[in-house]
Amino acid sequence: MAMDSGADGQSHKAHRSRHSGASAKKKTKAKNKDQNSDQKQQNPKAFAFRSNAKAKRLQSRAVEKEQRRLHLPVIDRSYGELPPFVVVVQGPPQVGKSLLIKTLVKHYTKHNLPDVRGPITIVSGKQRRLQFVECPNDINGMIDAAKFADLALLLIDGSYGFEMETFEFLNILQVHGFPKVMGVLTHLDKFKDVKKLKKTKQRLKHRFWTEIYDGAKLFYLSGLIHGKYPKREVHNLARFISVMKFPPLSWRTSHPYLLVDRFEDVTPPERVQMNSKCDRNVTLYGYLRGCNLKKGTKVHIAGVGDFSLAGVTGLSDPCPLPSAAKKKGLRDKEKLFYAPMSGLGDLLYDKDAVYININDQFVQYSKVDEMGGTTNKENKRDVGEDLVKSLQAVKSPIDEKLEKTKISLFSHNGRKRRKAIFGDGVDHSNLKSTDEENEGDEDDDSDNDNDEGENDRSNEDNESCSGSEFSDGDEEDLKSEEDDRSNEDNESCSGSEFSDGDEEDLKSEEDGMGNISKWRASLVERASKKQNINLMQLVYGKSASTSNTSANEVKDDSENEESDEDEFFKPKGQRAKNSIEGLGGGNINTEDCSKSTKISELKNWKEEEVYESIRDRFVTGDWSKGALRNQMSEAKTEEDDIDGDFEDLETGEKYESHQKDDSSNGGIQKEDDDAIEERRLKKLALRAKFDAHYDGSESPEEETDVQNGGKFHRSQANDSGYYDKLKEEIELQKQINIAELDDLDETTRLEIEGFRTGMYLRLEVHDVPFEMIEYFDPCHPILVGGIGLGEENVGYMQTRLKRHRWHKKVLKTRDPIIVSIGWRRYQTTPVYAIEDQNGRHRMLKYTPEHMHCLAMFWGPLAPPKTGVLAVQNLSNNQAAFRIIATAYVLEFNHAARIVKKIKLVGYPCKIFKKTALIKDMFTSDLEVARFEGAAIRTVSGIRGQVKKAAKEEIGNQPKKKGGQAREGIARCTFEDRILMSDIVFLRAWTQVEVPHFYNALTTSLQPRQKTWQGMKTVAELRREHNLSIPVNKDSLYKPIERKPRKFNPLVIPKALQADLPFESKPKNIPHRKRPLLEDRRAVVMEPHERKVHALVQHLQLIRNDKMKKRKIKEEEKRKEFMLLFNTFS
Amino acid sequence: MGKITYKRLKGSQNMRQRLLLATLKSTPVLIEDIHADDTLPGLRPHEISLLRLFEKLTDDCLIEINETGTKLKYKPGIIVGGSHLVHDCGVSRAIGYFLEPLILLGLFARKTLVIILKGITNDSKDPSVDTFRSTTFPLLKRFGVPSEGLKLEIKSRGVSPHGGGEVHLAIPTVQHLTATMWTDEGMVKRIRGEAFTTRVSVQLGNEMIYAARGIFNRLLPDVYIASDYRKRSEAGNSSGYGISLVAETTSGCCISADTTVSYPRGDEEEDIEGEEKKELIPAADVGEKLASVLLEEIEKGGVVDSTHQGLLFLLCALCVNDVSKVRVGKLSPYGIETLREIRDFLDVQFVIKPDPSTGTVILKCWGSGMKNLSRKTT
Repeated sequence: MAMDSGADGQSHKAHRSRHSGASAKKKTKAKNKDQNSDQKQQNPKAFAFRSNAKAKRLQSRAVEKEQRRLHLPVIDRSYGELPPFVVVVQGPPQVGKSLLIKTLVKHYTKHNLPDVRGPITIVSGKQRRLQFVECPNDINGMIDAAKFADLALLLIDGSYGFEMETFEFLNILQVHGFPKVMGVLTHLDKFKDVKKLKKTKQRLKHRFWTEIYDGAKLFYLSGLIHGKYPKREVHNLARFISVMKFPPLSWRTSHPYLLVDRFEDVTPPERVQMNSKCDRNVTLYGYLRGCNLKKGTKVHIAGVGDFSLAGVTGLSDPCPLPSAAKKKGLRDKEKLFYAPMSGLGDLLYDKDAVYININDQFVQYSKVDEMGGTTNKENKRDVGEDLVKSLQAVKSPIDEKLEKTKISLFSHNGRKRRKAIFGDGVDHSNLKSTDEENEGDEDDDSDNDNDEGENDRSNEDNESCSGSEFSDGDEEDLKSEEDDRSNEDNESCSGSEFSDGDEEDLKSEEDGMGNISKWRASLVERASKKQNINLMQLVYGKSASTSNTSANEVKDDSENEESDEDEFFKPKGQRAKNSIEGLGGGNINTEDCSKSTKISELKNWKEEEVYESIRDRFVTGDWSKGALRNQMSEAKTEEDDIDGDFEDLETGEKYESHQKDDSSNGGIQKEDDDAIEERRLKKLALRAKFDAHYDGSESPEEETDVQNGGKFHRSQANDSGYYDKLKEEIELQKQINIAELDDLDETTRLEIEGFRTGMYLRLEVHDVPFEMIEYFDPCHPILVGGIGLGEENVGYMQTRLKRHRWHKKVLKTRDPIIVSIGWRRYQTTPVYAIEDQNGRHRMLKYTPEHMHCLAMFWGPLAPPKTGVLAVQNLSNNQAAFRIIATAYVLEFNHAARIVKKIKLVGYPCKIFKKTALIKDMFTSDLEVARFEGAAIRTVSGIRGQVKKAAKEEIGNQPKKKGGQAREGIARCTFEDRILMSDIVFLRAWTQVEVPHFYNALTTSLQPRQKTWQGMKTVAELRREHNLSIPVNKDSLYKPIERKPRKFNPLVIPKALQADLPFESKPKNIPHRKRPLLEDRRAVVMEPHERKVHALVQHLQLIRNDKMKKRKIKEEEKRKEFMLLFNTFS
Repeated sequence: MGKITYKRLKGSQNMRQRLLLATLKSTPVLIEDIHADDTLPGLRPHEISLLRLFEKLTDDCLIEINETGTKLKYKPGIIVGGSHLVHDCGVSRAIGYFLEPLILLGLFARKTLVIILKGITNDSKDPSVDTFRSTTFPLLKRFGVPSEGLKLEIKSRGVSPHGGGEVHLAIPTVQHLTATMWTDEGMVKRIRGEAFTTRVSVQLGNEMIYAARGIFNRLLPDVYIASDYRKRSEAGNSSGYGISLVAETTSGCCISADTTVSYPRGDEEEDIEGEEKKELIPAADVGEKLASVLLEEIEKGGVVDSTHQGLLFLLCALCVNDVSKVRVGKLSPYGIETLREIRDFLDVQFVIKPDPSTGTVILKCWGSGMKNLSRKTT
């Protein structure tokens, strides 16, 4: 090479490998490692295990590890296109959140975003869309953001270090399901010293790891270039985001939710004009996530409250994924971008219109009247315009707004928006302008609006319901439609008509011989699909009424009632006619019987042809025919349509012969079909599983893929059979679901399973407080969460709570706290408790320091295992950690069962042998009766029992003295005689009431800067009113004074004394006045004697010292020995 | 939220399903015009008994009935269940009437339900307790209910006028029900049954068995009908006889039919007058008729008989969020009413597709995702 280059005359600089530094080290290390491993691999036998036990241990460890890795597979029930993943960018103020979003958006779409407001949806790849949201900085916004985040980018100011917000947000995330988290360090250009930078990175990384897990990704953005983050780094970050997998979170997969990316006020302007503070109607737009949304579901708008949906409409995706053509990467055209709140994106789709955003500078607007000329309906304002205007009104007074006729949605952008109206939209707007009811109708069949203008127009006076079903528009349909209309006033009538027809069908089937021509005619008449609808209509009444069910429960019911009443007040004969078989539902008091009681018209089963007709339903009959009967019906019905198979059911002989040969080959064929179908499903399931395993690695050939999957599966099955089976079952169920649902046409499917996840929905909500509009801030995203089963009810919840270790104080029972459960945030007053050994829930005044405890509170219920987060102070300006506790729901009851200890104190007023009368413990004889048999105890530990209220004659005799008999004196017995100075205690338990208090946090209904103020704690109130804490003097601790006890001298009775042995007898030696002589005399020693004495003393001293030393030494020795002994034993 | 919004309903129809679904979904209901036009307005004794049963099983539910008994306010509580419960079902309806909602309620209770029910065990109006044991329990197993906990013991039988029967019922709790694809009805492989007599001769039972076998024998050899002769304390307070039959298919479906004949309630004097004045259907006819009913049920097709349609639909609707698909014979009025109630309460609609070649109907639904919320987590 060098030669060549030399020949070319161009001398390239030779590569100089590094000799020092990080890369050199890495290289040498790798080399060494390689060598080592090579050595090892030279002789594999040499490194095989030698010990049997070790091998076993290794194996068991491996197995254990394998098992520990397994988790219960989570069922993912989202079958449609995935909604965009929400990337929440969070961080303390001034850390560069908006800038990051802007640069990311720039990276993906090559658009410059002026400012970040609301969610921004972009197409990031062929299979993936992202929605960027900036997390607001107050704690409410953080909690809401944590509930919808799929990925949280935690921005951290590297030059400053971690701030409380980051940790708070992490904790919030953890409680609400812990989505994926990635840290991003910014402001790294502030470091001048490279070493310091490195150190800081290291430190921050490790701190981040302890919080999440070792190896959590922390990204570094090193400074700014032209006010943007470096392209390369942003590219890397985008790459990381694009390969990220998002595991389903249990709360979210069981609740539908929307992150609202467009929000509009659709209140009729007249109402706003009349009263600017009237309740508003709003529409909320967003992708449906979580699980399917049924029409009747109630929703919770975070920070506002619970609402029932007045209308749900599926809209076409404003930011669709590119078409599935095989190519690499995205074309520029497909790099779509949707951010209505930021005022960007070119098109806005409403349910019946598309708005085109045109930049101001490109368009010269004509005058107002000219505008009117183009849209030609200026006098009749349509709702779309009203909507726009009312939105404008948020910032400007009402009258001003009404005068304006310009259409501008986001006035601050200086952007103008024109409504492009489609063909029949004009008519719609006409219709709409008049009344709201019509509008409601149109919500429901808006899907058909585009292709069915005519139908709509013809039906405009009716409930235009059936249009959707009979969209084919052939004559039959029209006829039936006409029928519908004629029967419009009376639903049941049409229903019964259908039922009649159907009755006949069924009957004719039963007869087999009956009027075949009719049967046939009806079969021809009805395609299988239509028939199905008819049966459904028969059961459920008109489809329109069902599609309307959503709205208002009460209203709906009243409607139903009305219809019921219609049926109810009818001439009796007609009613009887209608309620054939009770299908018309005429009588509302029919008896509730599951058994159909009419056995009267039984066939004579003794006749041969009668019983032979069902011969094939028995194992003694023709098996192939039986099998044929049990085929899946769809394939059959389809064939019915095509081949006219139903002719089989014609008259007797024909039927027999025809059926037989048909069954002989057809049955087999169908069985085959069935088997094939099943195999196909299984294959699909396997493939899906394989894909899941290998992270969507798409191999071009399906066949090999499936095979691989199969192999993989087999090998895996040996390892973990159950787990694998479970997964396979789930996958199979999923495939079955998809197959079954795909069979249905779109409208029925909608009714059956609701709106699918990933759809772009428009929710209409009525009677929202006007403050929501007034204080709407696009920077605070709106979360709309579906309310699950039983979650709208209020009751007591028992949670397992732990005070957060960074919160400085313990929590006090009945101090209000703000909890976030599920979608909701509300203030409530918990009572803390702990479960005793015997299952009793004992109240605690304060939460334990480092332990879990139970917390019972009242509020809207959440299902068990839901995470709970508690905060007390919502204000932004406090330095301390705001999360006070985390918890999860254990169960909910309607009744609170917490008790606290109560000690009844009494004093003996009269003592017999082991019985005593106790006063002051009870106030009445009734109370005594309540406590009969209760255990009591004296201070000294003598146990006893309450017997009965004391009778008058025994000790309670004030009557003799002329007073009233005292009540509440109890006769008690003890195991020993008690003293008058004893105090008697009765320990009992009393129920504690949990306050019926909860207060939903309405943070969206007030200015965002304002801190929400709910119920205050007692301490706060005291502080405010400058009150001191009340003190009960008796409760104060006083130093205990114990006088030395004086004992009386021991006196031995005379009789006893006499019997005692002399030694023990007390001896009365008279006290001597003068001591004895021996004591008194002085010893005077001779000098020699003194010397000897001194010497003896010295010797003794020496000896003592020696002994002492020896003893110490021995002691040491012994200790040493014991130590040794202990270690060996 | 402080104010309770009641779902307003009318009439006493489908009281059981309404109360059951209201309890499961915890929707408060207000039912008006209960037997308002009747000469004896107001709730019937069995309906009141049903309400008492619900009250027994739930925690803190609220039941308000107005003076005439034509209006009922019901705010459901949390289903607790529990053992050592006793309920007297009265004599206006059979125990089967109570069992149908009770089974579902028990599945979603906090604790395993063990209850003693007293009253009429066999009746011609309601499915008998034998049917529950032979048909309903296997049906429940299809939906993932563990079979170990399901138990129904007939301690004593009681028939119509005076009752006196006693059954012990145990129902396990489930976390959720699993969806099922159940369209294969199979072929009838065996017929089992039980004929009972209380306070009458054994001979009547044997006659019924003989007559029923006479019908089946042409179709199937594997027919076995046991006889259950009850006397004294085990026989309840009235005399009567009855038979219940189950046809099992190759795919494990059970199709049942049952009936009971008993001396109807008469005035005291008439009783004294003579016993033979009430013409009962002869035992042989009963057996024959019931065999015909069973064959009719088999002819209709479907994986369950017409009696169990309602329960089947309820189970399908209460499943997890998966597609269930079942095949039934002709929709019974009760089944249709149940479908409507399911739509109103659970917001679950079925796709109903007739299968003309067999005269059956295939129903598909997307389960409501009901979970046992009252179970305590540890």
